[in-house]
Amino acid sequence: MTVRTPVETEILTLARPWLRSLNRTTSAFSRAASAWRLADVVGAAGFAAGLAFGVDALTRSLTEALPFLALALVSALARGALAAKATRAGAQAAARAKAHARRQAAASLLAPGAPRGGAAVTAVMEGVEALDGHFSRFAPARSASAVAPLLLIGLTALASPVCAGVQLFTLLPFIAAMALAGMAAADASRRQFLALERLSALFLDRVRGLPVVLAFQAETRVTTGLAQAAQDLSRRTQAVLRVAFFSSAALEFFAALSVALVAVYCGFNLLRLLPFPVPETLDLKRAFFALALAPEVYAPMRRLAAAYHDRQAAESAALTLARLPVPAPAPAPLDLPTAPEIRFEAVGVTYPGGEAAVFEGFDLVAPAGRITALLGPSGCGKTTLLNLLTGLAPLTAGEVRVGEARLSEAGAFAADLAWAGQSPLLLAGTLADNLAMARPDASREDLEAAARAAGLSDLLDRRGGLDAPLDERGGGLSGGERRRLGIARALLKPAPILLLDEPTADLDADAEAQMIEAIRRAAAGRTTLIATHSEALAAVADQVVRL
Amino acid sequence: MTKSPLSRLIAEQRRRQAGPLILAAAAAVVVGAGSTALLGLSGWFITGAALAGAAGLATAQAFNVLLPSATIRLLAILRTVARYGERLQSHAAALDALAAIRPRLFAALAAAPPREALAVSRGEAAARLVQDVDAVETRFVRLSAPWGAAAGIGMAVALSALAGIGPALAILTAVALHLILARLLTRRLSAPAGAAIQVAAGELKEALAAFAAAAPELKVYGAQGPALDRIAALGDRLDALKVRAARAQGLVGLLEGALTGVAIAAVLALASPASAPLAALAALAAVMAIEAAAPIARAFEQDGAAEAAGERLDALLRYTSVKEAPSSVGRPALRLQGLDLAPGARLALTGPTGSGKTTRLEQLLGLRPAPAGAFALDGQDGAALPPTALRPAFAYAPQDAALLAGTVRENLKLAAPAATDEALWGALEDAALAERVRALPQGLDTWLGEAGERLSGGERRRLSLARALLRDAPWLLLDEPTEGLDPTTEALVVARLDARLRLSGQGLLLVSHRPAPLRLCERAMAVETVSPPAGSAISRRMIEPAKS
Repeated sequence: MTVRTPVETEILTLARPWLRSLNRTTSAFSRAASAWRLADVVGAAGFAAGLAFGVDALTRSLTEALPFLALALVSALARGALAAKATRAGAQAAARAKAHARRQAAASLLAPGAPRGGAAVTAVMEGVEALDGHFSRFAPARSASAVAPLLLIGLTALASPVCAGVQLFTLLPFIAAMALAGMAAADASRRQFLALERLSALFLDRVRGLPVVLAFQAETRVTTGLAQAAQDLSRRTQAVLRVAFFSSAALEFFAALSVALVAVYCGFNLLRLLPFPVPETLDLKRAFFALALAPEVYAPMRRLAAAYHDRQAAESAALTLARLPVPAPAPAPLDLPTAPEIRFEAVGVTYPGGEAAVFEGFDLVAPAGRITALLGPSGCGKTTLLNLLTGLAPLTAGEVRVGEARLSEAGAFAADLAWAGQSPLLLAGTLADNLAMARPDASREDLEAAARAAGLSDLLDRRGGLDAPLDERGGGLSGGERRRLGIARALLKPAPILLLDEPTADLDADAEAQMIEAIRRAAAGRTTLIATHSEALAAVADQVVRL
Repeated sequence: MTKSPLSRLIAEQRRRQAGPLILAAAAAVVVGAGSTALLGLSGWFITGAALAGAAGLATAQAFNVLLPSATIRLLAILRTVARYGERLQSHAAALDALAAIRPRLFAALAAAPPREALAVSRGEAAARLVQDVDAVETRFVRLSAPWGAAAGIGMAVALSALAGIGPALAILTAVALHLILARLLTRRLSAPAGAAIQVAAGELKEALAAFAAAAPELKVYGAQGPALDRIAALGDRLDALKVRAARAQGLVGLLEGALTGVAIAAVLALASPASAPLAALAALAAVMAIEAAAPIARAFEQDGAAEAAGERLDALLRYTSVKEAPSSVGRPALRLQGLDLAPGARLALTGPTGSGKTTRLEQLLGLRPAPAGAFALDGQDGAALPPTALRPAFAYAPQDAALLAGTVRENLKLAAPAATDEALWGALEDAALAERVRALPQGLDTWLGEAGERLSGGERRRLSLARALLRDAPWLLLDEPTEGLDPTTEALVVARLDARLRLSGQGLLLVSHRPAPLRLCERAMAVETVSPPAGSAISRRMIEPAKS
């Protein structure tokens, strides 16, 4: 009926199945949340019964009505408690789903072609949080709305089968209307949601581009452009809104209609003035019970409609999360007697989602046991070359050979690498714990020797040796000391290949000179690749490649 | 107390959107009053009908059925139409209001002092700004809610007053208690929970950033296990706090249930002296009154976040752009670090990474505060000149290319809005990019995606260069313009640049590590190390927490 945009198709084929698979992880809590919502049917019935019998008894005397008033009171209280339980179970279900998604998404950051830097944090953090409403509100509301209305109609039938029939009679056309026009309305509402998302993205883009906008004195023009885009969207989506709100209007209409029909029918039945014969004779209790339950029939669907936005947000996030690459199992170490030669042969690297290749037909031979420096500015792909070996960058063309082994078969050579970068990871624990990460079976002597060889003697003496406590943020360590910690790790791991990513960036000249000494020691007897800006560091290399 | 800029802006938009907002409020009133009346009247009708029916056929036939039953049906239809109208009008008003507020915010941001503006334009802060704007939209959409609630409650009180003053007062008391207690509960429980959630989310983000930055190390040492566990633990703590916040929300629901029960019992007991139909009417009105107040009570929870968003936006909206006629700068001489540069001079800035070459360029552009005496334009101290006096003198191609999400044409015209296609192609030729753009599906009108992702790094840089070439400014500031280019293309770009500069007489300040473009410059100057980069304190902490 409607032409689907690519995004809509992807939501159906990618986001929804992904969300469903995540749903399975939350089973206990989401069942509990749905169960509490369903139990509300009993509360609603108790409340309606209390009201019906209460009003009926009140026609005789207040004292007779009191027990029923107590029933209504207790039922209302129970409904509040059930709602609280459902909210809590929903939050727990969401916590479970998010924990699962978060672990998966975080682990995927170690797969080839995963987003890096700020994009990685956004994908995991915002993406996972956007799932919350789907699992805490939408999913329980959806399962409750499938059953609760029928249960309520069943309860109504106990008092008045005709009223139950009237409600079924309004519910079925409602469902039919939803099935036919509702899809168009859902499409429209999704389109509206996506349009708003795009507008936010445009605004974000212009805010991010502020430095050039200012530099070119284009503030006024960009502001006008933003206003234009927002006005265009506003104008175009007025029509979409009319359709998007159709489903809620239909819901409203049938809910009101069912109350009105029940009320009018009951009134005429009680007056015995019905123009047609019915198989029941109502009394006040039955009629009032049916009336009090009538608005409840549509309440679960209203709750569902209110949570629709949660679903759209989650689907949007699921598109990103479902596309995150899956990390491969860690490769086994190669059997390398000596440091190998590394050959890059016609290497091509294209990150998923980006059309442009970072590399195309790139060739390089890093001689065995020598230092090769890759020199170039940030963003030119030096780190990407190193990450081909660690398995963080996707090899899309060509081949990388380490000795006899091929990257296209091995996937990564992580087990044969030692690495030191700009921002070594710090774990909460002692200095020894942080060093032993590189070789868990290392003796304390080995650890200390590595630390001293990397130039950490000062730190060892100042902080009381290997047992000095460190926190994750590296409190008390200078930038240089953190780098040295990375070098010490690289020294500890007896790997035949050493990769260094900007090991001297942001260091002053003295610190850089000392660092270069430590690097020279670490590189001895290994095939070493250094990605750097620094001419001074490149000077220690046997081979310099300018990118 | 003076109104905050945001509330002034919102008030202004409320005036401008008065039509739709009044319609939305009126519709909300109809919905609120109609819902209460529908159920109350229905209760009265069937109770009355039951009593009349029991009294015999004559009484039954005397009972006026037509008016109540017609009213019930009318109310049902009215409520539907009104609800639809309310949603349509309030969303339309919100969309239009946002269409005005977004550009205003951007203008304020552009007018803010560079240090502050650039801090907001990076990383986390930019994303939060977008969320804050969305929060304003939600506020706009909800403007009609109090009207609907008030109408629902008012109708309930009016209807129950038919059964006596007691039931009416009982309903009023219940609603007041509901709102006051919900407010207290959210203040005591939700607000601290919300603050704790913020802190926990921040820590998780930091851990994620550190994890992402250390990915190669984790793979190489096979140490992802503990690092993932730490992220999971921080995530679990965040989720546990959210569950706790849900408990606070649940308590508001419990309160709602308790008050509904108490109100019903009290209203029926107090209304018993009146007739049973009126008691039924009052009882159902009480149910609807609490229900009408419930959305308001539940929305208290968002108050804290909305307030924080409002404060952040207010902090930005303080700045208003000063309209100044673009001062024509002519061809000013430049004095940099004590070195005098005549118009048309070419200078290379050299120095190791991190010595502040880029910072120098950004100071010239007024994107960063400069220390007094750092540079002078035609003899005037640059630190004392407003950005509007500095920027016309320079055309800038930054190191990170910084393309906008838009077409090739839009990106180029950022520098020269009036440029002809011929001029655009000329600049592209000089940047050795014309051939590539011609090969794009829609040429100049090809959409480049966010941050120009359809182009490679080198192509983005050349587009940024072409953009700078288009701007008619006496000084060109080029930051690593040929990095990532192969030697042939580089030579071509450098030769074209040389020719262009000769023709235009523009001066050049160049930052580069590469010998070919450096040969363009007659002089080189080592940059004196400047103070550590300022202005990005917020984003640096969020993005690079791993650095101490």
